Amino acid sequence: MAIPILKQGDTLIVSIQAAPTDQELLRLQDDLADQVGRFRSRGVIIDVSALDVMDSFASRTLRGIARTTKLRGAETIVVGIQPDVAFAMTQLGLTMQDVMTALDLEEGLQMLARIKEGTRRRRE
Amino acid sequence: MPAIQSIALTARNNFSEADIERRLKLVGLDTEDKARIATIRDIVVKAADEFTAAFFDHLGRSTDLASMFRGSVMEDARRQKRDHLMAMVSGQYGKEYVDQRLNLGRLYSAVGMDVPVFLGAFHHMLRAISDAVMKASREPAGSFQAFLSLQKVGFLDIGVIVDVLIDERERIIGAQQDAIRELSTPVLQVRNGLLILPIIGVLDSQRAKQLTDSLLHSIRANRARVVVMDITGVVAVDSKVANHLIQTVAAARLMGATVIITGLSADVAQALVALGVDLSKVNTVGDLQGGLEEAEEILGYRNLPSAHRSEDR
Repeated sequence: MAIPILKQGDTLIVSIQAAPTDQELLRLQDDLADQVGRFRSRGVIIDVSALDVMDSFASRTLRGIARTTKLRGAETIVVGIQPDVAFAMTQLGLTMQDVMTALDLEEGLQMLARIKEGTRRRRE
Repeated sequence: MPAIQSIALTARNNFSEADIERRLKLVGLDTEDKARIATIRDIVVKAADEFTAAFFDHLGRSTDLASMFRGSVMEDARRQKRDHLMAMVSGQYGKEYVDQRLNLGRLYSAVGMDVPVFLGAFHHMLRAISDAVMKASREPAGSFQAFLSLQKVGFLDIGVIVDVLIDERERIIGAQQDAIRELSTPVLQVRNGLLILPIIGVLDSQRAKQLTDSLLHSIRANRARVVVMDITGVVAVDSKVANHLIQTVAAARLMGATVIITGLSADVAQALVALGVDLSKVNTVGDLQGGLEEAEEILGYRNLPSAHRSEDR
């Protein structure tokens, strides 16, 4: 089953509910790369708050998604990593160093707004 | 080593028959010894009061007996010591005997007797027994053998009592460590979205884990965006501690919070550079004040002098 992608203005929101299979994750990467261009989105938020494990494949795919969407003009923010998941990930060395993170969907949206504000100011 | 350790641990509760068996084997006490001890039984029983006195007189020379054994505790200790001497030559070294030793050990522990002090007094008492045995002896070689057998019992006793003393000390140290752990990991909110985490004491992996855990939960509970971690009070910062800090920072970042580490003293900074620890990915500021200012900047706060104060000038 494909992971649903919601469009809200110029932002795409993905909420990963159950633990996704590797295929579903790869499909998500393809879908996002495609839709970011099609909807001319400026930001992607991936909510992982329902996940109680994050393995190396999942975190590598998320990094892949972040880089891909960045090339297509949209920032990706991963939100809602749970305390225990964050702790386990650092123990495994999965620090997702180049991916932006935020506490939850709300913070993530604010973060995107700040980024947009920043680029607008820089242009002026 | 593990066998010895497991013996020590049983001192906290009670000894099983197997533990006692093992201890008897360790000191090498056998039926021949018991027979030899029987030959000097009368001498010891007759002068038991004298030997008890020898033990406590020696104690009195190295410590202040009156302040150590208050009130009836002194009577109790003397009585137990006397019983001990009787039991030492009884030939019965089973559960009952060891339990008596444990009780006496707990009494010593309760009055705060040190291991060397106890050993000194015990040795003195054995000395007094040996003198008495040799004096009453018609056949010195045999009596000496009998005394050596009794000494094995003595070493069994020392083993049990020292275990109780050490065990009690370890229990106290453990309880204190727990208390320090409890006390020393507060996570405080200073402003909306800004937490400070002052770390005091020694940062071992156990504590680093606990600290990271409580920080992550506080980040979620307080919806924090910036955390200032102050390590002024950390006793020693080496590569291990630095690694713990880096992991904590990485974990907090995964939850969307920026961590600023403050309180790296000149010595610590130099030590870390000398060790080759890479803290370049970590946001560090010299002191807590600087860290808070930086955090407020990230959060978009700006401190302005109040209009009132500028009028005063």
